[in-house]
Amino acid sequence: MKEQAMSSISGAGIKRSAFLASLACAALGLAAPLAQAQPKPIRIGVPTAMQLQVGRDTQDSIKMAIDDINAKGGVLGRKLEMVVADETENPETGISAIKKLTADEKVDVLIGGYTSGVTLAQLPHISAAKTIYLGVGAASPSIQAKVKTDYDNYKYVFRVGPLHAGHQARQLTGFISTFVKGELGISKIAIVGENAKWVQDLVPLLKKGATEAGADVRATEFFDAQTSDFSPLFSKIKESGAQYLIVVLSHASSDIFAKQWYDSRFPMPYGGIDVKSMDGDFCERIGGKSVGEMAANFAVRAPLTPKTIPFFDEFRKRTTRSPVYTAFGANDAVYIYADAVARAKSTDPNAVIKELEKTNYVGIPGIIQFDDTHDVKPATEGYKGPAFLIAQWRDKCAREVVYPKAMRTAEFKYPEWIKK
Amino acid sequence: MLEILIIGAVSSAIYAMLAVGFTLIFGVARILNLAHGTFYALGAYGAYFFTSLKLPLLPAALLSIALVAVFGIFVERVLIRPMRHSQLAVLMITLAVALVVEQALFLTFGSEYRNVPAFVDAKFTIGGVDVAGSRLLALGVGSLVIAALWLFIQRTRLGSAILAISQDPQAAQYMGIPSDRIFSVVMGLSAGLAATAGVLAGPFLTVQPTMWLLPIVKAFAIVVVGGLGSIPGSILAALMLGYAETIVGYAISTSWTEIVSVLATLLMLVFRPAGIFGRRAAF
Amino acid sequence: MFNKPIDLAGAVAFIALMAVLPLVFGGNYLIGVLTVSVIYGIWAVTWDFMSGLTGRENFGHSLFIGVGAYTAGFMNTSFGINGWWSIPAAMVMAALAAVLIGLPTLRLKGPYFALAMLSGAVIMQRLMLIFWEQTGGEEGINGLTPLIRSQLGFYYFALAVLVAITALLLFVARSHWGLILRAIRGDEATCQAAGINVTYYKIASLVISAAFAGAGGAMYAHYQLQVSPQLFAVVTSITIITMVYVGGMASIYGPVGGAILLVLLTELLRNFGEWRLMVYSCTLILILFFLPHGLVAPMWRRLRSALQAGTSAPAPRATLPLAADGAAREAE
Repeated sequence: MKEQAMSSISGAGIKRSAFLASLACAALGLAAPLAQAQPKPIRIGVPTAMQLQVGRDTQDSIKMAIDDINAKGGVLGRKLEMVVADETENPETGISAIKKLTADEKVDVLIGGYTSGVTLAQLPHISAAKTIYLGVGAASPSIQAKVKTDYDNYKYVFRVGPLHAGHQARQLTGFISTFVKGELGISKIAIVGENAKWVQDLVPLLKKGATEAGADVRATEFFDAQTSDFSPLFSKIKESGAQYLIVVLSHASSDIFAKQWYDSRFPMPYGGIDVKSMDGDFCERIGGKSVGEMAANFAVRAPLTPKTIPFFDEFRKRTTRSPVYTAFGANDAVYIYADAVARAKSTDPNAVIKELEKTNYVGIPGIIQFDDTHDVKPATEGYKGPAFLIAQWRDKCAREVVYPKAMRTAEFKYPEWIKK
Repeated sequence: MLEILIIGAVSSAIYAMLAVGFTLIFGVARILNLAHGTFYALGAYGAYFFTSLKLPLLPAALLSIALVAVFGIFVERVLIRPMRHSQLAVLMITLAVALVVEQALFLTFGSEYRNVPAFVDAKFTIGGVDVAGSRLLALGVGSLVIAALWLFIQRTRLGSAILAISQDPQAAQYMGIPSDRIFSVVMGLSAGLAATAGVLAGPFLTVQPTMWLLPIVKAFAIVVVGGLGSIPGSILAALMLGYAETIVGYAISTSWTEIVSVLATLLMLVFRPAGIFGRRAAF
Repeated sequence: MFNKPIDLAGAVAFIALMAVLPLVFGGNYLIGVLTVSVIYGIWAVTWDFMSGLTGRENFGHSLFIGVGAYTAGFMNTSFGINGWWSIPAAMVMAALAAVLIGLPTLRLKGPYFALAMLSGAVIMQRLMLIFWEQTGGEEGINGLTPLIRSQLGFYYFALAVLVAITALLLFVARSHWGLILRAIRGDEATCQAAGINVTYYKIASLVISAAFAGAGGAMYAHYQLQVSPQLFAVVTSITIITMVYVGGMASIYGPVGGAILLVLLTELLRNFGEWRLMVYSCTLILILFFLPHGLVAPMWRRLRSALQAGTSAPAPRATLPLAADGAAREAE
């Protein structure tokens, strides 16, 4: 301290202090108006399974939307900002992720989700935090159920994607009756699903619908999601006399299922709901062994809406990957929220909720609107909402839409070892 | 029926390879190595990694097994040896190693399942039963490897040294057998065995970062049922478990296989805790 | 522990710190993390009481936690019973589970006992998934009502329960009972020869451990407002054992520190994003490698002797039972 006092007496010292002082003033001068002109950003909290592909794609997809909106000036003059918290597949971590985002990071909205069990666990905490939640990954119907029964507490919860399991069951039944029975002429089917709760809720509906449509359900089997050896299962299905295998897989080892189906040259084609098969690189990463499988997709790189193909291309340009299903919902959710905030002219949840309920947005898989439980409405005869597309893996791991007929891009082809 | 016989045999072969390695290191060094499943995982991932670098399959597999064996020796010398005073400490540190490796695999290879190409891609039909070639290979090679290990232990000097230490560590040391060095060798063997199982099973089972947990739980159960430290016991128990799971899977449903095998383990522990061949049985 | 006033002072300081922390830093997030860590503390202490003292490592502690939590879940959602009843009910159910699994397995040693308990927990987890219609499968039981509306209020309640349980178990551990349990760890055959009813003591300690763990489970259920089969998982048991290890085996109070430390660590590492669990596991290896006797309990002992050396004439180096804890661990 003494030395500084000494040096400041000398000329050089005075010059330096003056310089520093003016620098400080300049900085303050610049900072003050800047601080006033820079309004608080709108913060989007993203609870997702960070280590999984669904989590990565959710984040990248949201980032894409945020960058686009910010480049156009933001929302109400405010920029958008993303804060991610890992929810893993464990409810405990999921709940603390919500608390971190709402109580600590104080986000304005939550966009994310993947495992239904985790989302269900998070709901009361989301409600307590009075923060809007736009789901993009969990399909259990129970998630939106409370919106109707306890609106005041649960009005914050919306689902942008995917279509809930009940809708999926109905669509799958349509697939069985119209395509498997109608076009392929196969009536003997087997239904196989992982023993997750949503599947167990869905399969009886599926069975009933299929039987009513004239199909003969020869076997219904559940297996543990951790199963890595499907030989007993395949054996049973073969013995049942079925000729087509309907699957309902989500967390299970779809990769191994496909590999073992191929390796043992299983004598029947299979298809249905197979979440992992939605991945763009599913076929490649198992050495092309899923060629022939038919899997449901919520969107493929086809002109479902004007937004679809640009999204796929932009996503691939940015990440060199093909997006998984959570990416569609996540991207749409950002725009939907931004639009609602713009219309409500505020980020106050109650005002925004009123606007969200009126959403009519052209999204990636289709037009997004919410029903009275804040759940995304599926496509119907006259309404181009998100549809259930069944696409088949083809040679060189290309994908073609086979069902519904209106969206077909190629005819169905049997796996090469099955003579028909 | 024949299908159950064959599929059960394949499961048993994989389990046997895992269990024998686990019981080997326990019988000799009294180390409960929770990272054993990690060696299995690394074997499979190693094969995936080297083949993705365009190495032909056989060299990739052998390289992978060799590297995992070296890794096993490293873990033993650097992390386990200082902890040997407490069995629980060894348990905890091997568990931590397993967690670190799992995370490393997540970060390097991602969470998605990876594809290990099979040595044999064809399908064979035996007596009307369709079996994938890779499974038969696993059965064949697995049996050979275990037989080779058995011969090694029974016929070579090193093998006798291992036997001696497992029967009476102190006497063995008095005889001038360098136990520390032997521990490392056995760890390398154990890791190599697990890696071999990983390379063989990779093509038709899971290859993803959390694949280490289930095998170690099963290996633990098998080894306890067969008798800690007994190779014949492990093989027998592996057969029992493999077939029990397969039979339950065919007869009832795969949802019940795990509970049946765990229940069987529990019952065995309650009624005959020393296992089939008891604790101090010689190899 | 309460032999020396300095221990009491340390305990009071700790409790005061825990009580004041949320008031100073505030926010539901911190309160949430602290509440969860306190409940893990309860589980860790109960584990240490049984396994730490008797040396019978229980790899299935999650069994009692899950039983307690599911009891609370069923009572609250299926029968609509007030949450406060679920705590004693959970204790009873967990105690019952302890008797059921303890009786046939407590005569087993070391890895055999560990495996038996682990099997018990795995079976329960499987059963919860198999009977998904009643238990909700992997989605679990949702929609429990909170015990105390205020987050802070529930935290203080949980903290009070933790302190009470720790004090009680410490008291028992320092008593005649604890001495017998430690003797059983040392040499069970001799104890039996001396006429001690070894089975009774082992079962009793397991039952006490289980009952309080079950109570913790019920509290957890009413805080998280959901019950999932993941509570029964092997991972849960192993997490708790790690906490006890980091806290200091057989010290009873150490695991509290271990639990709080590790839960805070997992949360604080969130800034590492994808690398969170990697950093956590590496930290764990470092702790396990360099601090084989744990972190919390040895640190307290060192702190205490430093304080004592600083104030009065040097006190005898740690009281005997504590030295026996540290030293006896090595006889494996």
